[in-house]
Amino acid sequence: MQMMLMKSTQLGNFITTQLLESQYSYQTSIEESVVLIYDPNKTARGFLSVKAYRLTPEAISVVQERDYTPEVLRKMRLGYENLFQEIKVVIKNSHLLNTLLCELFEMMPSTEGQQFLDLGTMSTLDRQLRCLMEYVDDLSQEASKFNNLQRQLAKQQQEKHKYLQKRAAENAQRQSRGEPPLPEEDINKQFKPIPPIPRLDAMITSGQITNYCKQISQFCNQSLGKLYVSKALQ
Amino acid sequence: MSSRFFMSDSESESSSDSEEYNKEPVGISAFTFSDEEEDQKRIVRSAKEKRYEELNNIIKNIKNYKKNRDMSSLLTSNIYKSLCIFCSCLSFEDLCKAYQKALNVVKKEEGGKIPGFFLRCLVDLEDYINQVWEDKDGRFGSSHILFFLELLLVSCVGFKCVYVVIDLFLFIFNRKNMSKNNAKSLTTLRQKLRKYTRDFEEEIRLFRENPDAEDSDVEKDEVDEDDDDSVMDDDEPLGPAAFKKEPSIPKEEKKVVESESDLDSDESDWPSDSDETSSSSEDDRKIEGRTRETFLKKKVDDLEGEKTKKEKIRDKRKTKKEKGESDDDTKDGWQSVSKKAAIPREKPKMFGKDDEVTIPAVVKKLSEIMAARGKKGTDRKEQIELLHELFNIAKENTLGLPVQIKIQFNLIMSIYDYNPSVSDPMKVDFWEKILVKIDELLDMLAITPELAIGEHITEESESLEKPPYRVRGCVLTIVERMDEEFIKLLKACDAHSNEYVVRLRDEIQTCKIIDKLLQYEEEHGMPSDICRIYLRKIEHLYYKYDKKAAKQVKGELPEAEVTSLNEMDRLCKYIFVRDNTDRLRTRAVLCHIYHMSLHDKWYEARDLMLMAHLQETIQHSDLPTQILYNRTMVQLGLCAFRHGNVKEAHNALLDIQSGGRAKELLAQGLLPQRQYERTTEQEKQEKQRQIPFHQHINLEMLECVYLVSAMLIEIPYMAAHEFDARRRMISKSFHHQLKNSERQSLVGPPESMREHVVAASKAMRNGNWNLCRSLLLNDKMNAKVWDLFHEAEKVRLMLGRKIQEESLRTYLFTYSHVYDSISLVTLSEMFELPYGTVHAIISKLIINEEIMASLDEPTSCLVMHRTEPSSLQSLSLQLADKLYNLVENNERILDQKPFFSRGMQLLRRNLKSDCCSREAVTVIVRRPSGMKGERDEKTEETESEKGISLWDTKQLLYAGSLSFLFVYLPKSKSLRKCWGPSGDVIQAGPKRLKNFVYIFFFNEMLRSIWYLI
Repeated sequence: MQMMLMKSTQLGNFITTQLLESQYSYQTSIEESVVLIYDPNKTARGFLSVKAYRLTPEAISVVQERDYTPEVLRKMRLGYENLFQEIKVVIKNSHLLNTLLCELFEMMPSTEGQQFLDLGTMSTLDRQLRCLMEYVDDLSQEASKFNNLQRQLAKQQQEKHKYLQKRAAENAQRQSRGEPPLPEEDINKQFKPIPPIPRLDAMITSGQITNYCKQISQFCNQSLGKLYVSKALQ
Repeated sequence: MSSRFFMSDSESESSSDSEEYNKEPVGISAFTFSDEEEDQKRIVRSAKEKRYEELNNIIKNIKNYKKNRDMSSLLTSNIYKSLCIFCSCLSFEDLCKAYQKALNVVKKEEGGKIPGFFLRCLVDLEDYINQVWEDKDGRFGSSHILFFLELLLVSCVGFKCVYVVIDLFLFIFNRKNMSKNNAKSLTTLRQKLRKYTRDFEEEIRLFRENPDAEDSDVEKDEVDEDDDDSVMDDDEPLGPAAFKKEPSIPKEEKKVVESESDLDSDESDWPSDSDETSSSSEDDRKIEGRTRETFLKKKVDDLEGEKTKKEKIRDKRKTKKEKGESDDDTKDGWQSVSKKAAIPREKPKMFGKDDEVTIPAVVKKLSEIMAARGKKGTDRKEQIELLHELFNIAKENTLGLPVQIKIQFNLIMSIYDYNPSVSDPMKVDFWEKILVKIDELLDMLAITPELAIGEHITEESESLEKPPYRVRGCVLTIVERMDEEFIKLLKACDAHSNEYVVRLRDEIQTCKIIDKLLQYEEEHGMPSDICRIYLRKIEHLYYKYDKKAAKQVKGELPEAEVTSLNEMDRLCKYIFVRDNTDRLRTRAVLCHIYHMSLHDKWYEARDLMLMAHLQETIQHSDLPTQILYNRTMVQLGLCAFRHGNVKEAHNALLDIQSGGRAKELLAQGLLPQRQYERTTEQEKQEKQRQIPFHQHINLEMLECVYLVSAMLIEIPYMAAHEFDARRRMISKSFHHQLKNSERQSLVGPPESMREHVVAASKAMRNGNWNLCRSLLLNDKMNAKVWDLFHEAEKVRLMLGRKIQEESLRTYLFTYSHVYDSISLVTLSEMFELPYGTVHAIISKLIINEEIMASLDEPTSCLVMHRTEPSSLQSLSLQLADKLYNLVENNERILDQKPFFSRGMQLLRRNLKSDCCSREAVTVIVRRPSGMKGERDEKTEETESEKGISLWDTKQLLYAGSLSFLFVYLPKSKSLRKCWGPSGDVIQAGPKRLKNFVYIFFFNEMLRSIWYLI
């Protein structure tokens, strides 16, 4: 049995926490389930866009724990790039359908499909750039958050260190005077550990950025190829 | 102290006696002089006497309480009875203590025999309590307030115990509680007494058998008691009157003392009463001394107490003394009114029928009356009446106007004085009176030209009899005070009530008075005074809209016609020239600007504002002036708006409107404070600063004008700078409104003024001027805002036109990239603007390089130029900026974490090896890393080699994702280098490189091919 989660998307902005969660629940209950991503906009323009994804085992183990601290992510070797794994989609048509397609192809006017040098519309790129910018902003915010956390941690570490040193010195002094050392206190009480920031959002954002970048580069590669062709023609 | 109190009541009324008591320490020793004979030999008393006296006194008190109960039963005041219990309970404890003290003496002197009077007391008390105990109802009775209050004071003074008083107070207001408490105290008293008498059981039994054995001893005490009682009786009628005020201030010892002395004097004022009652008592021995005393006192009273009495005894005493001391010549004329006639309606007569009324006599009288002014106990109302009387006398006897003026002046002053608090307005009837008085005063001044009045004239140098007259006093102050009082009165009224309108009618009278004084001062006064009165006039003038003046501005009336504008001009210019104090001039300038902007004299108002340089100094001035400045700025802004100067209007209103505190800044109401609560003092101050309602500027109109001007500026600006990475906001509050509406999931049709403006802004963003205009100019908005302008139609026309123009600009900014060329005729049709206007707007846009286009005159077309950066290019530039920020953030993370950098090195090596083989090329955003200016290609290359860490960083974030490696210099906004696919550097000169990159990236095929060639 195979379970499929269908998801439509626009400009490939499908990587979200929501998708992660739902796919996780599907995949844990039914091992073979995949998520199908379908972009109706792109398909309407003549590029069939159907992609299948699955969560990687690492991702599943992390999601299971619901623990997105940097340490866990590092240990699990989970990054944005191996959050999902893409599965090749093979579309098989029935013979009957194939015949229909052939017939349709012959019926197509001859001018259609010849504007292969068209670089596509500017608006696509425009929109993609805007979305990309949004996510870059988000990521930048996440980074600064993380940065702040680090700074705080470093500061606390320093203070802790100072405290311990002072303590040790005092104890040594007391020992030399023959007094009992100071009672051990829970140092964690004094310096409450700062809760780490979950990195899930950052990870998903980077994953999404990757996705956009892939699309843009694909788009540009096509255009670039066409440019080279046109250059060669001259 | 209780004893003192009782003493002064019971024993004697001579003030010397009571004074002596006052000097005594507050201790129990004050009890000692129970009668006067003993008083003399006090010094030689033995310890026994002392102790016995102490006991006696307490016993007397207890008896007193019990006795009171008789009275109370007479008045069916059971509460009173129960209170007696309460009191005697307390004094019983005292008794026990005192007896303990006296025990030694008793043992020594009488061989342990318990003194009879003490026994008798115990027995009596026991009987009494038993009696009350049986009479259970007695403990739960109805309250009899008079007695209660009286007793309250008794206990208050007696026990010096504030808490008791407070307790008693609670009793009054909580009857249940009271009866409960009383029952409790009764029980405790009963128990204590039982316990106590157990020790004396034998003696008591004996005593009960033969009570008369000790009679001789007791007799004297009984006499004393009766005496006390009789005095208590005396006190009764005066009780409520004298004590009524006391409960409110029982906590202060001082006041109690004061009241005590009051009582003394009261007592002395009622000699006959106490005589009658006390004579009925058996106390023959003392009556002589007492009558003598009282007579003595009465004589003194005769000398002193001719004055009429109305309210407070204290006041009476004070004024009485003053009068008594000073009025030797007029003393006989005083009519003595008995105290019993509590409220004598008739006015006191100043002069006897035969007295010669001369100017010095009147002046003397006046100064006597005025001497009491401001003193604590002065009855202000009476003073006013006296002055009034005096004025009439002076008038009847035709002493001449100067005297009348002087009296009138003082009369006005004392009316002002009537209200003790500065912040509260005066009473309305006084206000009306004062208006008349001031008017009369000014009239009198006007018809005596040879009179000089002023503060610089001293009392000594006054001359009232012959010209040139000189009178001390300052009319200006009076009028200024009147003006302030008027504003206070207005502020005290509810602004939406009829009362306010009625009060506002006095404005005319006030203005008349000011005019009168102005005329007078112009003839007589000094420039500084004239300036002051001018400013008063200005402040009554500046906020009023004069239709005539408005017509004059439009040129419908000849310049010579006198309007408020001319008047303002004259007054203000005088102040500008003559004034030495900065404040008056500042205020005059502000009022002048306000008035001019109110009458649409925009250029004059603006120029004056700019010339005055008030912006720099205004924060150093006082708060009312700052408020006036705010008001002026707002009015100036509104004027600018009416004239279609949107930008100026926006700038003028920005400061007021930006903080959302317009209401507070204009002093038109208090805003709730978020961080801290105002103290009452602060609130009072702020309330004082408020502007009266009729001078308010409509806040909604203000906000609407601000928002509309912000919209007219901001929307085209937003359209023009859509791709700027760091776009400045022109108006924060406008953006706030926009955001608010964006945040709503469902935007309904606009309701409020703000929603209208926001909806209009959205329409304008799309260049839909028609919708925009209909959203701003409709019935709803007309009623809310536009009709409030004096020339509403003009404003609406102006606004409609502005909307069309700005919509056109917005449209061009937003959609010009769609066009290759646009016909101006079409544009003028689209926006229903005349061709000339469209031409002008577009020309301006082209000159300011806001759009890249040129005008083709023959075809009357706007031809767009394709220039860089195109929208896509600017988008990528923006993206580059953002990526740069991201890299910065990321590098910071890396800087901090050591293990990251270790990992980085590994990563770096890996990446280096495989970077060339990558299919996609990565876009790198390079920062100039603090270098100045551009660097040449070579350093660029080495930089990029060195800067591989950057590259790595990006790998972490979006490795293998972007397809180009750009070298971008944000400073010069240029691309310097590009790594093409498969990592090879595309060799090209800067310009070609740039174009090349754009070509790849931005898909303008034909153009790019053309460039490539």
